[in-house]
Amino acid sequence: MKPPAGRRAQNKAAIRKRIVTAALSLFQTKGFDATTTKAIARKAGIAEGTVFNYFRTKEDIALHFFEQEVDQAIVSVRENPRLRKAPLEEKLFALVHSQLEFLAPYERFIGAAFIHALKPASPLGIFSHRAQELRHRYVGFVQELLDESLPKNQYSPLSFLAPEVFWIYYLGALLYWLHDSSPGKQNTLAFLDRSLAIGVSVLKQGKR
Amino acid sequence: MSSQKNTTTGRALSMASMGADIAGSYVGYLLQRVFLGEAKSKIKLKSTHVRAARRMADEMQALRGPAMKLGQMLSLQTGVLPDEILAELATLQMEAPGMHPSLVRVQIKGSLGREPEEIFKQFTAEPFAAASLGQVHHAITREGQRVAVKIQYPGIRRAIENDFSLFRTFSKPAQASGHIPKSAINEIEEQIVAETDYLREADNIEFLTDRLAPLSFVKVPRVFREYSSDKVLTMSLMTGRHLEDFLAQRPSQKLRDQLGAHLFELFHFQVYKVEALHADPHWGNYLFNDDAGISLVDFGCVKYLSPEAADYLRRVCLYPGSTSSADFRELLEAYYEQAGEKLLPGARRALIGFAENFYRKVYPPKPVKDQLFDFGDAVFLRDFLQESKNLFRTKGVITEFIFMGRAEMGLYQTLHRLKARVPTSQIVKKYV
Repeated sequence: MKPPAGRRAQNKAAIRKRIVTAALSLFQTKGFDATTTKAIARKAGIAEGTVFNYFRTKEDIALHFFEQEVDQAIVSVRENPRLRKAPLEEKLFALVHSQLEFLAPYERFIGAAFIHALKPASPLGIFSHRAQELRHRYVGFVQELLDESLPKNQYSPLSFLAPEVFWIYYLGALLYWLHDSSPGKQNTLAFLDRSLAIGVSVLKQGKR
Repeated sequence: MSSQKNTTTGRALSMASMGADIAGSYVGYLLQRVFLGEAKSKIKLKSTHVRAARRMADEMQALRGPAMKLGQMLSLQTGVLPDEILAELATLQMEAPGMHPSLVRVQIKGSLGREPEEIFKQFTAEPFAAASLGQVHHAITREGQRVAVKIQYPGIRRAIENDFSLFRTFSKPAQASGHIPKSAINEIEEQIVAETDYLREADNIEFLTDRLAPLSFVKVPRVFREYSSDKVLTMSLMTGRHLEDFLAQRPSQKLRDQLGAHLFELFHFQVYKVEALHADPHWGNYLFNDDAGISLVDFGCVKYLSPEAADYLRRVCLYPGSTSSADFRELLEAYYEQAGEKLLPGARRALIGFAENFYRKVYPPKPVKDQLFDFGDAVFLRDFLQESKNLFRTKGVITEFIFMGRAEMGLYQTLHRLKARVPTSQIVKKYV
């Protein structure tokens, strides 16, 4: 007898989660390049063929992880009642901080993935189709935050570029975070706080 | 001289990295605030002359960090700033940029491991005061105790260290000429960096709670160690009003005299009896009460004196004989010698001048009964600054007294604002 549809979806989600968790743990300890789908399957306790039912390649697993990173960060800003009336710089801070917090357990892997992403042909890369989609989702959300925070006609004429620029800024912040050796990554917090304060003030001062 | 910093490229590189790293400078934060914040509007003043003077003062005030403390030393030495401004600088606060609630939350969670609501029964998201290197929030503990929670701005320690390394490079000529001794820069850096460790501040509070117990008019907060870390400090909430608010209530001369006497006694008790003092005279650090009680609130900067220094001060203050006597001279020379400094003739003259023109006037060695010194008259402040400048110019400043000197200037400034009349020598006599 087949389990009911809801239950089947639950099972599928659980297996998907098991694969991602196993993969991340291997990416973090063995390195991204040295990890094979076979090793991921063994670690997750499933057949290698089953892995392929969910993800075509290990790059897909990594991308899935980055989608989760972005989606949970968007939700954490959107659904936090404390941020509803917060100024723009605080919302953006909360967004980036939530992303970094999500990535923190896998810092070593993120460092390697960052290098990978710069290769033009890499499926993880910033030029790949799926990565573009993710970027659009992110940039779209930043645009929403801008629209709700800055009164119309009161900000810089260049502000239509701001969401795209913010994506690049995020990659820069990520790099800063990866190289930050201060205890508790305190310098990254100061960096985010100060740079967002400047950025938002530049946006606001453009038109007077 | 072989370090990379001394090659042209090396220097250019280090300057560039300094400029690129906006999170890496305390002075940078403050400058940024001047350009981004409301301070901008202040610059629109009319008369050119006033404008120049005001702008200078504004800029000096904007540099409320280590640069300010160093700037103070420089201006004492060169006399660039008007005396009034110089005196005001002593009581300015070192301020970090403000933190929004999300950053406060991250700092508390990162430091204490839990969200503020999990730790406290109630936590106010908006700060009620700026503190040295951070800000202070109201909260109520699970036991119902009202507390003040001081939270540090992230990365401040490195920012301060960066500024000092930059300052060391800039001030090489002044160091070489001996006008800004290396030991003085070290002393200032050491004290300011120490202020970034709130656990050390908690130690200071507990130390002073114990040692100031004989002074019934002084109140010191209680530390809640379980809710404190190197970046978060939880203390009981203190009563009283800041100087400005206190004066706005038009307190009687009697109350101002009592408070003045208490402040004065507190300072001298610390120097002679505790041999350590609350050395940040910023007005936000003192709360005044209507029963003439004083509440102390910020203990980041506590200067511990050496026994030799305390002994020297006890002997020099209220020195009964003539300041031109050989005995007095020997007293001065002996102290400088044990501190590893040579007392140059110019500096010796400056010290004797200081004793004669300031201390003998404010602290008469043989006071008549109930003799009061009126701090409302600004002449004594000018004398103090004049003599301090002399001492700097003649390179007679002992490193150990830099912070005490600033605290003393702050004390006089506060007494002047209070227009207090104080039985100075009678009070000091109790302790020397």
